[in-house]
This record gives sequence, C-alpha cells and structure tokens, in this order.
Amino acid sequence: MSLLENIGSAVIKLIKSFTDIINFAWKILIRIFNRNTYTSAMRTVLIDQIYFTSVQILPIFLITSIAFGSLLIGVLFLQLKQLGLTQYFGHVLMGLIVTEFSPFVTVLLITLRSGSAINTEIAVMKVNKEMSALEAFRIDVINYLMVPRVINGVISIVLLSTLFSVVLLGSGILFSGLIFGMSIDAYSNVLLNSANFSDIVIALLKSVVFGFFIILIPVRFGLQASHELTSIPIVVSRGMVNVFAAILTIEVLSLIIKLF
Amino acid sequence: MRNFIKNHPQQAALVSIDVPLISNQSVLMNIALIKQYHENMPTAKAEPIVFSALRRLNLENIAFKRNPDLNDEERFFAMLLRAVMVRDALVIIDRPLKIVPHMKNIDYIFQALKNIENLYLNCHIYDYDWMREKYGELSR
Repeated sequence: MSLLENIGSAVIKLIKSFTDIINFAWKILIRIFNRNTYTSAMRTVLIDQIYFTSVQILPIFLITSIAFGSLLIGVLFLQLKQLGLTQYFGHVLMGLIVTEFSPFVTVLLITLRSGSAINTEIAVMKVNKEMSALEAFRIDVINYLMVPRVINGVISIVLLSTLFSVVLLGSGILFSGLIFGMSIDAYSNVLLNSANFSDIVIALLKSVVFGFFIILIPVRFGLQASHELTSIPIVVSRGMVNVFAAILTIEVLSLIIKLF
Repeated sequence: MRNFIKNHPQQAALVSIDVPLISNQSVLMNIALIKQYHENMPTAKAEPIVFSALRRLNLENIAFKRNPDLNDEERFFAMLLRAVMVRDALVIIDRPLKIVPHMKNIDYIFQALKNIENLYLNCHIYDYDWMREKYGELSR
C-alpha cells in the first residue's frame, strides 16, 4: 500500500469512528428527552451511578482539590505579585481557574476513575452475555444501562467542577490575605467585579459537554467488545484514548467559541 | 423453543445458561428489575414481592448475594424467580442440567415450580432428547 493509501484509510477510519460516536450520541440524546425512558429501574441505576461517581470520590476529590488548588493559587498569586499584575488577580481567578481549570481537572479525575470503570463494566457485561440477557427480558439496554450513566456523567462533572471552583476560591481567601494582605470583603468584591456571566455559562456548558462525552465514549467502546475475554483490554484502551482525544477537542472548541 | 418465544413475545420468560444474571447486581436487584422495568414499579414495592418469592423457596439468605457468589442451585432458582416476575409469565426452562450439572433428581425443580405455581401461567422445559430418562414419567 502506498503512503497516500495509508493516510486515506486512516482518515476514513477516523471519520467512520467520529460519525459512529455522533450517531450514538444522537440516539442517547433522544432517549434522554423521552419521558418513557425514566422507569423505576432506570432511576435506581441513575441514583447508584451518581453515588459511585460523585459521592464515593468525594474524600479523594476534596483532598486533591485542596492540595492541588492551594498550590496553584499560591504560585499564581506570587507570580502576579512579582510581575506587578496584582490588579488582574480577580480576572485570573474567574477566567482561568473557574472557567478553564476546574472543569478540566474534574474531567481528568472522573475519566481516570469512572470512565475507565464504565468502559470495563460494559465490556464485561457484553462478554458475559448479560446484554443479551437484558434483551431476552425485553429490557432496552440503551434506556436501562446507557442513559443513566451518561446523565450521571453530566450531573457529576457539573457538580464536582463547581465544588472544585468553590474549594479553589476558598483557598484564594487564605492566599490573598497572606500574599496581598487582602481582607475577605475586599477579596469577595474583586471576585464579584471580575465575574463575567458569559464565562460562567460557557464553563457550565463545557462541563455538560465534557460529562456527556467522557461517559458516552467509554460506553460506546465497551459495546464493541466481542464475546471473548481478550477483547476487554482492547476496547478499554481504545475507549480511553478516544476519551482523551475528545477532552482535548472540547477544550479547543470552547477556546474557539470564547474567541468569537 | 424459538417459535414459542416468537409466538408469545410479551410473556416468554427464559431460564437458560445463555441468559445469565447481571453480575454487578444482587439477586434481589436482578429479580426486582423485571417488575421495576416492565411495570414501572417503585423499588419499595418490588423488593417485598421478591423477598416473598425468595421465602417460598427458602432462599432469603441469597437476596444480597451476587451471581459469582451463588452455587448452581441458588443460581438456577434466582433465574427462575426472575422469570416468574414477568407478568403472566410463560416460563421456558432451557436445558436445566446445563445450569445445575450435578442435579440427580429433577423432582427438585418440579417441587420448586410447585411452590411458586401461582406466580406463572405455564412452564415448559426444553432439553436434549437423550436427557429424556432424567425426566422419568414426565417425559412420556
């Protein structure tokens, strides 16, 4: 095969994979907005999933956000002071930390913990013929398994990235006092003056899109497992690589939207 | 068997090695799922029904166990109870000896079916022809 053919087949593969994900996303979206999807069984799965993703992770998530957030805020404030850019610290906090950094770190943590787990779980269910068992009992696999997981992704990312922002802004109180000698009232004033409504809306929308895709992609790849155990690591690694590609793509797209 | 399922798509309730329990859920959840999904029954209402069915087979102790923790008999009965949760269930037991390979006396299954007979409409057992003698009088 010539180089050109190789490039061509790689591009076709990429386009096929992309359209496959978009088609699947459309299918899930339709079900999310359908009232009949929300059966008692589906709601039970949704509550379980939110517990696994958002509640069980809380201790680790809080420790990470306090340690990592404080370190970042401390370094950032020191740099601003040294560069004589103290007056911009409010904009840096709201524009960089709240709208960019919090969703990004949250999505990385959730992808590593829950994205990989869901990818494996779906693949194992496929290998064990559990999907066929559900179908044999006329249980819609998309409604029962996929939709609650995707909704959970959206809810968890929005809530956890908000929590991450709150923790970071909280540690900002401490460092603004230590580095700039600022009172809590002055700090709150600076934050409120720097808060831009459109930035917050974009941050929320970004969290929603992140949450949707970082669960949808592992689910989709988990479904591609065959009935052999050896297919599990293959679909999990493919799924995770694609999730990271999606995270980068969403980041770039949100930056482009912000520019315009 | 396939024709039977095709003719009764809403009532067919399969007990088969090819229709396993969901391994990341307890027996209780596996059985209650049918009522919760088909009849949109709340968990609080579905679970007592499952417990009462498990009690009839003296299997309340397996309610919170998961598939890998069950022995063959417990797995078979959990699958059977899941099947009878289908409304007006026409239970189809596909090669029971594949699920409980060491079972010597098939009466064990018939006794269990008798204990829960008001939970299903009808029950059909499908097996290979060469297993006929295992079913004794009933196969004639």
